[in-house]
Amino acid sequence: MAAKLITTALRRTALRRTASLKPINLRPFSTAAATIPDPYDDPSSLTVKGVKISGRPLYLDMQATSPVDPRVLDAMLPFYLSRYGNPHSRTHLYGWESDEAVEIARGQVAQLINASPKEIVFTSGATESNNISVKGTLHFYKEKKKHVITTQTEHKCVLDSCRHLQQEGFDVTYLPVKSDGLVDVGKLRDAIRPDTGLVSVMAVNNEIGVIQPMEEIGAVCKEFKIPFHTDAAQALGKIDVDVDKWNVSLMSLSGHKIYGPKGIGALYMRRRPRIRVEPQMNGGGQERGIRSGTVPTPLVVGMGAACELARKEMEYDEKRISMLQERMLNGIRAKLDGVVVNGSEERRYVGNLNLSFAYVEGESLLMGLKEVAVSSGSACTSASLEPSYVLRALGVDEDMAHTSIRFGIGRFTTEEEIDRAVELTVKQVEKLREMSPLYEMVKEGIDIKSIQWAQH
Amino acid sequence: MAAASPSRPEILSLFRSLLRTSRQFSDYNIREYSKRRTIDAFRLNKHATDPSAAFADGKSQLEVAKRQALVYSLYAPKVKSIMELNH
Repeated sequence: MAAKLITTALRRTALRRTASLKPINLRPFSTAAATIPDPYDDPSSLTVKGVKISGRPLYLDMQATSPVDPRVLDAMLPFYLSRYGNPHSRTHLYGWESDEAVEIARGQVAQLINASPKEIVFTSGATESNNISVKGTLHFYKEKKKHVITTQTEHKCVLDSCRHLQQEGFDVTYLPVKSDGLVDVGKLRDAIRPDTGLVSVMAVNNEIGVIQPMEEIGAVCKEFKIPFHTDAAQALGKIDVDVDKWNVSLMSLSGHKIYGPKGIGALYMRRRPRIRVEPQMNGGGQERGIRSGTVPTPLVVGMGAACELARKEMEYDEKRISMLQERMLNGIRAKLDGVVVNGSEERRYVGNLNLSFAYVEGESLLMGLKEVAVSSGSACTSASLEPSYVLRALGVDEDMAHTSIRFGIGRFTTEEEIDRAVELTVKQVEKLREMSPLYEMVKEGIDIKSIQWAQH
Repeated sequence: MAAASPSRPEILSLFRSLLRTSRQFSDYNIREYSKRRTIDAFRLNKHATDPSAAFADGKSQLEVAKRQALVYSLYAPKVKSIMELNH
């Protein structure tokens, strides 16, 4: 009873006091007078990079990262506050309780993908898991196996690892994709050689959201007895992932795409038949020697909690996100023409909507959409100016590839946010099209592609 | 230890507490999500024959929500989400 009174009193004072709490000082130790105004000081607006906006943008970039679910944060906090032990310490309570938490989390991750906890290795993210899978497998089997098959639409880390292998003397086949983004299983079958050591195809593409035919590819790999690796970072917790149905030997998982913390991922490694890899991180032999280094207990617990939540909420989330995606697509299509969905419309993950707007320039569209947090291309490649390699692999024209916008819908997106995003996008596209001479010509009926542009 | 079966007033009281706690979240998205999820979860279990498991789950979720509403309010950003400001 007393505890209840204390907590209510504490909560009341804490909530009352937040109004007068100083903002978290981002530079607590700076002794110079603050000459640069802190952009977060003014409560009425935010000025960052010369752009002034009145509130935090609405977040529609779920493929880049996702907000941490409060239930996940609740599971993680005790491990930062009082249960801070190293899970590899065998001699005291701190180590034992930490180790127990890691093993529970391992079970939670394994249950989501229908694997055994002994087959899960925790890493620092899907990028590290991809590196271990691609480079580690080929280095282990380098006497007999010299060939890797992957696709042109893979994540940069897989493509870069393959390029690294090419420099070491391995052969890599980059399979082309059809115009809807899917891999042709017949072409995969033709590309297989006797010395193929790995097939790597990502389950759900991060840019266009298409779901590859995993069961068919798995069946081909089983027939030829080749290890099948998949990057399931975007697929985990969103579509039904089953390592036995897909027949994967290696799977990369990421924590921060399923409402978990950043900095944690996992690698699934099949035990029957056993796949062996050469470790990329050498050290004390933690995680069965595959990935040495202290296992970060709070992050691991967060990822486990996120996986458990995903298992419980997957059906509810999918129904809702599918409804939101339809709402967005119908809303945009009702007001605008010349809107193209990149990637297959049937075989796609519902939370990823990649649209190209004809006769509009991409950068200016993004700059005009400053109240909506979206991305064009993927977060990894949006620094450079060239159009995304994924869209190029789909065969999309350069001008359409430049105007592609990726909307990411997630568990916490509301209908009002979708409506507002549709409204802002339509307004911005109409404004840009009005200024565009190309659009004027199209309206008059001239075919842009038939124009002979005069050389100066 | 667990009650045999929660009575109707108990279930209603849990529902109201969850909604009340949802309103206290300072983050727009989390607030809307917890309201919506509570209503949908209770609607889904409306005709369940034995609600004690769902009730126990609901009670533990209430504890989580109370703690997290406090944590979120401690770190609430000064600038609110654009959805909370007038159009």
